[in-house]
Amino acid sequence: MQTNIPKTSTALYFLLQADLRTQWRNRRSSILVVLVPTIILIAWKGLVDKMGGAFVLSNCITVGLTAVGLMGYTVSIARDRDKGIFQRLRVAPVPNWSIMASRLLVQLFMILLMNLVLFWTGYYFDHITLPFAGYALCLLTSIIGGAMYLGLGQLIVGLIKNPESVNSTTRLVYFAFIMIGMFGILGILGDKFKEVVLWTPYGTVWRTLAASLHPSTWTSTTSAALGVTLGYALLFASIGIKNFKWNTK
Amino acid sequence: MLNQKTTDVLEVEGLNVLYGSFQAVRNVSFTVHPGEIFGLLGPNGAGKTSTLSAIEGLLTPHSGAIRVAGYDIRKEALAARASMGVQLQATSFQPELSVIEILTLYAGIYGLNLNKTQIENILEEINLRSAAPKRYGELSGGQQQRISLVIATLHDPRLVLLDEPTSGLDPQSRRQLWERIEAMRDKGHAIILTTHSMEEAEAVCDRIAIIDHGEIMTIDTPQAIIDSNRDKPEVVRASRKGKITLEDVFIGLTGKAVRS
Repeated sequence: MQTNIPKTSTALYFLLQADLRTQWRNRRSSILVVLVPTIILIAWKGLVDKMGGAFVLSNCITVGLTAVGLMGYTVSIARDRDKGIFQRLRVAPVPNWSIMASRLLVQLFMILLMNLVLFWTGYYFDHITLPFAGYALCLLTSIIGGAMYLGLGQLIVGLIKNPESVNSTTRLVYFAFIMIGMFGILGILGDKFKEVVLWTPYGTVWRTLAASLHPSTWTSTTSAALGVTLGYALLFASIGIKNFKWNTK
Repeated sequence: MLNQKTTDVLEVEGLNVLYGSFQAVRNVSFTVHPGEIFGLLGPNGAGKTSTLSAIEGLLTPHSGAIRVAGYDIRKEALAARASMGVQLQATSFQPELSVIEILTLYAGIYGLNLNKTQIENILEEINLRSAAPKRYGELSGGQQQRISLVIATLHDPRLVLLDEPTSGLDPQSRRQLWERIEAMRDKGHAIILTTHSMEEAEAVCDRIAIIDHGEIMTIDTPQAIIDSNRDKPEVVRASRKGKITLEDVFIGLTGKAVRS
């Protein structure tokens, strides 16, 4: 009997392999995460000429990022915590951070996949063509925006233990973000409300993504929105991590 | 690869666990030797799982020292965890993964390089080869328990912790599990198990500790505990059939009141 401590990279490889398999087997929820913004993108084809391709595409990516953070990450963390899956992993010789890092890498993959599906749908159905630098920068800012929504998801699982309550809260927040965010930015709820929405987590991510898709339109206000997004991400993640419990007892 | 550091596989010294102002474990000390099955008995809320959780590194004790195979559970956490195999009371594996995928995952994170044939051979040993492609969520409770136990011992750990391993099992499965636990002991593993079954404790444990209100009340072999307590009035009062059993001693020492 000998004590063999695996390399963290090896452990992370096996964790990631298992988490990707789990994500694939739960593909119905993954499909929904990608499908909702895709449907909105196709449905908003008529707005492309009026508002511009970047406006429509950035809104849809924001909806997708909200879904990844709230529906994908949060719900799976709440379920696995409730089932004791994390506790079993935590008694193995792997650092706790690697368990979460693996989960976050799966969500990063989902963010990239969702972006690529939306880029392709936008190009194919809505005839949205953007500069290559726009697509590349958008992928980068999507990761930052995604981190903010993952932070929000972490906040929810940090503050709420019951998986059913987490499930219903994430759905409620997701719905509220989409409705208030999209309608607010469209100006349907009034100009003053639009100004408020632009500095909410939905608005800052949308503004950053929209400018990323057309890098020439990036202004100091966009930089401020990016800074606020990072601020939200840090705030949500720090509260969520501080309050997070690995079990529900 | 690290060398083993001491002869006692588990050393717990002056362990105190607090949940806010509630003290769940009070100054608990004991050791477990190689090739020994050590039982931790106590009523609900006595501090068994808290003690085990502290050993597993799942909670940080208020004070005290825990060494697994000589490694301090706080200062050398990974080495200590690599030296132990754990079957938790309320544990589960990803229900979407197949049995073979779960074994691959845990073999990987314990630093083992097992191929498919080796994993199938392990499953053959526990009569679960046919279940290899099944998803974990599709297995029966007994099958899940066997998988959980085989994962706890996959990396040949010096210490195996089993938290109520036979709860919910039918008599056949329970007997089979006892045999597996004894076989592990015979291979030199140190085993610590918690149980509510006095029959189980008497049948498989070499030594037991009875814990209540977070304190260890007695530690010895099951027979020695019976012998040293058989004349106590509270134990005699607890006796139901004249002959003093471990359960009578347990009830005598911890009281008849039902714990929540």
